[in-house]
Amino acid sequence: MKAEDFIVFVVDDDPRMREALSELLESVGWRAIAFGSAGEYLSHQRPNLAACLILDVELPDINGLDVQKQIAHGDHPPIVFLTGHGDIPSSVRAIKHGAVDFLTKPFTEEALLNAIRSAVERDWLARRERAELSIRRQRLASLTPREREVLPLVVSGLLNKQAAAELGISEVTLQIHRRKIMQKMEADSLADLVRIAEKLEIPITHSRRAGST
Amino acid sequence: MMRIWSHRPQVLHLALFFAAYVLGCGFAKALAIVPGTNISIWPPGGLFVATLILSSPYSWPWWVLVGGPAELFSQALWWHSPLPAGLLMYAGNALEAAAGAWLVNRTCRRPVRLENLQEVLAFVVLAAGIAPVISATVGSAALAWDGESAQTFWAAWPLWWIGDATGILIIAPLALVIFQNWRGKAELSAARWIEACVLGLILLAVAALSLSGYLPFAYIIMPPLLWAAVRFEFRGAAVTLILLALITAIFTISGASQFPGDAESQRQKQIMLQLFLAVSALSALIVAALSRQYQQALLTLRESERQLREMIDAVPVNIWCLTREGTPSYFNKRLIDYFGQDVADIQTPGMSRLAATIKAVVHPDDAEALSERLNESLMTGKSFSFRYRLRRYDGIHRWIEGRAEPMRNRDGEIVQWYGLCLDIEDEIRTQGALRAAQDKLARATQVASLSELSASIAHEVNQPLAAIVATSHACRRWLSAEPPNLERAKITLERIIRDANSASDVVSRIRALFSQTGQARSPADMTEVISEVCRLMANELAMRNVHVETELTESLPPTLIDRVQMQQVLVNLIRNAVDALDTTGDGARAIRLRAVLDGDDTIRVEVRDVGAGVKEPERIFEPFFTTKQGGMGMGLAICRSIIESHDGRLWATDNKPRGTTFAFTLPTRARDAA
Repeated sequence: MKAEDFIVFVVDDDPRMREALSELLESVGWRAIAFGSAGEYLSHQRPNLAACLILDVELPDINGLDVQKQIAHGDHPPIVFLTGHGDIPSSVRAIKHGAVDFLTKPFTEEALLNAIRSAVERDWLARRERAELSIRRQRLASLTPREREVLPLVVSGLLNKQAAAELGISEVTLQIHRRKIMQKMEADSLADLVRIAEKLEIPITHSRRAGST
Repeated sequence: MMRIWSHRPQVLHLALFFAAYVLGCGFAKALAIVPGTNISIWPPGGLFVATLILSSPYSWPWWVLVGGPAELFSQALWWHSPLPAGLLMYAGNALEAAAGAWLVNRTCRRPVRLENLQEVLAFVVLAAGIAPVISATVGSAALAWDGESAQTFWAAWPLWWIGDATGILIIAPLALVIFQNWRGKAELSAARWIEACVLGLILLAVAALSLSGYLPFAYIIMPPLLWAAVRFEFRGAAVTLILLALITAIFTISGASQFPGDAESQRQKQIMLQLFLAVSALSALIVAALSRQYQQALLTLRESERQLREMIDAVPVNIWCLTREGTPSYFNKRLIDYFGQDVADIQTPGMSRLAATIKAVVHPDDAEALSERLNESLMTGKSFSFRYRLRRYDGIHRWIEGRAEPMRNRDGEIVQWYGLCLDIEDEIRTQGALRAAQDKLARATQVASLSELSASIAHEVNQPLAAIVATSHACRRWLSAEPPNLERAKITLERIIRDANSASDVVSRIRALFSQTGQARSPADMTEVISEVCRLMANELAMRNVHVETELTESLPPTLIDRVQMQQVLVNLIRNAVDALDTTGDGARAIRLRAVLDGDDTIRVEVRDVGAGVKEPERIFEPFFTTKQGGMGMGLAICRSIIESHDGRLWATDNKPRGTTFAFTLPTRARDAA
């Protein structure tokens, strides 16, 4: 992991803590941006990088756990919580909602750095996933309307003959469409195409078994 | 006319009326012993009046129609009067009966029962007094006109009048009784029947003796007659009067009576006899009416008393009465049920009934105060009101609100005391629960404020501490870098020093915090504050089995304090003392609180325990110094800050042989003013 690869956001209302954390992260060689409140963090234009959010639970404007709930549906980085007096119920709640760690002040250097590392890694994977998905979506968008009709039938496991009958076209034509789809979606095999379709949440609408739809 | 037809009486009734009328005429004939007068008592008059009184006016023509032949038949049979004279006399009789009945019906309530004095007097005056005037006038005129009987109008009139009057007085009541009770059941008990029979025998004997001349005068009959009237009222009077008339008649007819004699004296005696009967009838009727009225009043009174008693027993209140002297005289049913016994009967030798009752049913703790209050009320006549516990039938004492008011007569003298007991157990319980909840809340607030304070202190210390740790790590990294970044290391070290200083500032900030709240101070009595804290902690102390001995000087001079802070100090010191007791497994579990005046202008408060004692009496006041597991080490430091901010001093000394005394002083207000 290189320094440019990620960034650490620090949200703590105590300037001493902000300063200390920034200093520590800088001494490790990581980039850090510190905010005094959740509002400041949310209004900040985040760079398109893997990241980690170090969030103090006791914030002046809002409780850290509530911030976590609020940003759950955006593409926000994983959270490492810091608290002055941690209690088990809130730490359980935080972890359950996807927090990477829940550290009680004062914490050791090792604990903090490890938590940040695993958070960044998790974010990096998530970002890659998201990037792949968006490429595939673009590929899906490049299909013709007829090909988009053929795709669910093929990934549902229908025989060419059955799929052709379903659409009222000849088997040869269907095979041409199928080849085109494989090319456009950059699938190596039918199994690969099925996996891609699953990620794109293309519904399996038909069954090969005769009689059922 | 249709009305008259539709109101025709039954033929049987008309026939009976006819027979009775003829019989009455026969009776009159039998008594007519005075030569030339032909009649004495005229029973048909009474029968006629009673019949018309009880029947509807529309049916009167029928009775008159039947009465006419009956009288004419009787006249033809016994008096041989000429038809015109007979008709005239009957017209007089019929007119008399109609007038009498009309007047009585107008005056009295229907149906006419002659049950009160007013009705009896109306009957006597109107039916027996005024109505016969008509028949006497008409009849005497007929006799005078007839000429055959050789009677003058003026000689016949009085005899006629008194004869009719007596007839009505004697017969009409009986007829009324018979007509009205024809179908009613006899409501006499066996004892009453025996009494009636004995009375009848006595009456017969007395009447026989007096009328036959063995007893000096006829009025001796009055006592049994009045007895009958009193005991059997209207019915008794009516029957007795008939009996009397019959006896008189029998004796007169048989000639054994004292009345017969020569013509003039016979006439005199005839009048005497009639007067006698009339007076007897009048007296008996009036006495009967009075007796009836009295009985009625008695019944009404009993009924209303019963209703009142039922009401008193039914209302959801316990009611009792005391005599003027204070002897219990009445408890309502509800109260007796509450006690499970009739406490009014309680007697204890050597004790007044009131004292015995109080001893039996009032809670022993309240009995004395209750007696005192009650006796005071009895002496002074002031209303009584007191709350006490009363024992229920199952032995449980319930809280009662007792009240009593004296009832005074017209002169203002107390006649009786009326009291009631209201069950207020539930109310008292609710109040108790409320007070307990309030105490709990107050206690919780105090506990919360100290623990909140501790939490905020923890946060205040923790924050710079965490910063120091993180910055120290950064510093180490700058130093161990290749090459070492001394510039950054220096900056971080300065930050570490800064943050460490800010952590140590926390305690001084706490002091500042307490001295800032000086404006919340007000003059207070420390004794009171200590008692308050003891009350607040009573549960906790009881739970931990600790006994608190207090030695509080009364009326200490007031001090200017922040009450809540002072409570916190005391709570904290007392809790420490109780905790200290836990460190030694033995010995008395007692702590001692003292508040005394130390010199002229200083109050000194001590909390003394017999625990293990403290090794370093001064260090315990340092922040974060604690001997307890899980303790924060802030309690005594805060206490000292509070006391010092009040210009006082807090210190600890070792007791001999063991234990610790925490003492603090506070200036009195006098010193502040000086």
